[in-house]
Amino acid sequence: METRHCLGLILATPAVGAALCPFMRTQAGLLAWALGVVAATAVASGVCIHAVFAAGPLRVGELLHLDSLSAYHLGVMMVVYLLSSVYSIVYFHDADLGRRDATRYTALWLGALASMALALLSNNLGLMWVGIEATTLLTALLITVHRTPASLEAMWKYLLICSVGVAFAFMGTLLVAAAGSKAGEALVWTRLRDAVATLDVATLKLGFLFLLVGYGTKAGLAPMHSWLPDAHSQAPAPVSAIFSGFMLNSALYCILRYVPLVESATGGSGWSHRLLVAFGLISIVVAAAFIAVQHDVKRLLAYHSVEHLGIIALGVGLGGLGAFAALFHTLNHSVCKTMGFFCAGRLGQIYGTHDMRRMGGTLRSAPVWGTGLLASILALIGVAPFAIFMSELLIVKAAIDGGSILALVAFLAAGAAVFVAALRHAIAVAWGRPARETAFVPAGLLEVTLVVLPLGALLLLGLWLPGPLQRAIEEAAAVLAGGTP
Amino acid sequence: MTNLIEVVLVLVVLTDFFLLGSSRLAACIRIVAIQGVVLGTLPVLGHLDNLTLRLVFLAVGSAALKAVVFPILLFRAMREANVRHEIEPFVGFIASILIGLGSLAVSVWVASRITLPRPVVSSLVLPVALFTILAGLFVIVSRRKALTQVLGYIVLENGIYVFGMVLVGEIPMLVELGALLDAFVAVLVMGIAIDHISRSYDHIDVDELDTLRG
Repeated sequence: METRHCLGLILATPAVGAALCPFMRTQAGLLAWALGVVAATAVASGVCIHAVFAAGPLRVGELLHLDSLSAYHLGVMMVVYLLSSVYSIVYFHDADLGRRDATRYTALWLGALASMALALLSNNLGLMWVGIEATTLLTALLITVHRTPASLEAMWKYLLICSVGVAFAFMGTLLVAAAGSKAGEALVWTRLRDAVATLDVATLKLGFLFLLVGYGTKAGLAPMHSWLPDAHSQAPAPVSAIFSGFMLNSALYCILRYVPLVESATGGSGWSHRLLVAFGLISIVVAAAFIAVQHDVKRLLAYHSVEHLGIIALGVGLGGLGAFAALFHTLNHSVCKTMGFFCAGRLGQIYGTHDMRRMGGTLRSAPVWGTGLLASILALIGVAPFAIFMSELLIVKAAIDGGSILALVAFLAAGAAVFVAALRHAIAVAWGRPARETAFVPAGLLEVTLVVLPLGALLLLGLWLPGPLQRAIEEAAAVLAGGTP
Repeated sequence: MTNLIEVVLVLVVLTDFFLLGSSRLAACIRIVAIQGVVLGTLPVLGHLDNLTLRLVFLAVGSAALKAVVFPILLFRAMREANVRHEIEPFVGFIASILIGLGSLAVSVWVASRITLPRPVVSSLVLPVALFTILAGLFVIVSRRKALTQVLGYIVLENGIYVFGMVLVGEIPMLVELGALLDAFVAVLVMGIAIDHISRSYDHIDVDELDTLRG
């Protein structure tokens, strides 16, 4: 069997795994099954990713294509999914969902993995869209696992806003197909890239605007982010973790696919880059304003997602070193945010609330999760030596190199505002006085691992970037810059 | 053939206006179903000289989905939620019709300014597509009942379907099937959502879904 046939396995494993969920009997069995399927998918992904970085892009016909950009994102996704699948077991340990809801949860969990993998692997831009739209629909019902009125409200907003947003992205996809009608088989990314000179520039640009707004809605870029804090705060914590850890990135990835096309077609005018910088800065500033007034810890983390997706867009928009920094930041943010939601979710269960004014003294009552939440907020606001500090520093450097002083000033000012506001929240939660006495809650080995592992990775990456990872990010950034890998 | 196509397109515009001006949900569901069938004939009419099995298959499939499956799902949601009328929408029905006329004018003007990459069967296609997209969006933002918003979403998708036909001619089969499947799942999930909402709130008024703020 050739390695490229593993690409099919990455799609088939979670899809078949989801279809088999009704045959499991217990909730524990279902969650273990989900973890097993995710692990198997991760193995197939690992083989493919290794092959891509060792020997160049993998391709199956015109349909599937894995180059360094998608392989890098695939890697990030599998890390997030593996951690979150383990966490699901911890999170639902004391909560009985009932067999029906547990089956639905695991089937949708694996289905969402399959559809996001489809978005990453497809060479056809239309199928990529199908994957993203399917992700929206499958994850909508994951928000309402705890069927509270607030979660239904969040689900409805998510469903409607993202469906309409993604419909715009479909219009954009059609416009790109029209722009590429001279290139023969429209919508195949590799063909469009090779025939970029024949693309109709005006139609392509119009298409990119629709794509940016459409996929940008799903990626949580301001001002289209209004669904995001509701959905992230109401979903059960493992779902929030995959939303924030990778679903937003998968939508942003779709925008990134078009950036090299637009840039080569317009002769490197930087038109799409300027748009990304604008949306990135708006997201950072809007998020900074909302972070200051948050009381709900999961909403706080959700607005951090808006901020950090904005930072990634900003980095890509700055170009050059910025693209490298943005992709590095993608990994750092995903690992950190996943861990942040793990801690916020468990602390929410322990305290019975997500209101930060009532969950003081977490370091005393639940040291492991308390430390994790404190560390993740510190990392998110850019405290050294966590890896996020390094990637943000690189973005600052890219801004100085590129002479984008306005962007630099806005980024730093909003970053400082976030720093002060979020630090105030973090200190109150870590050391503050609890609203009512909370008993000490011990944590098992698994729980400790779920905090220590991501935290250790963030520290390590902040101090030392391993050679293979650095080369992987450089190659992915080269795809963004329009080079043929 | 152009005549027949233009009749179809005028019918689509009429269904849009009907949706904008009607408060009875049952009638709205039926009119959206009719729009789906009418739209389903478009690709067939456009290629009468060189009909392929694939074209017929897709046309029949999309018509069946929009005319049979969607109404079944929506009528069931309507029964479960026990609603019959769109009462006091954010924008009144007369005002909605007037806004509809305005957006029709805008669509015609915008369409006249776009140069298409390929020849089109009728000059009416693009304005009708744009108008249908705008009508769908308007229904989504201006109506109070979750069910009517779903209808607006279906109309929006219909508009994009026509838009795609104008721009690309033949969308690759796999993509078209995927898009149809997604539309089906979307309406299915929205139906489930309406069911859940009506059970925990005793209504499906979206303006009262406003506890999450800031």
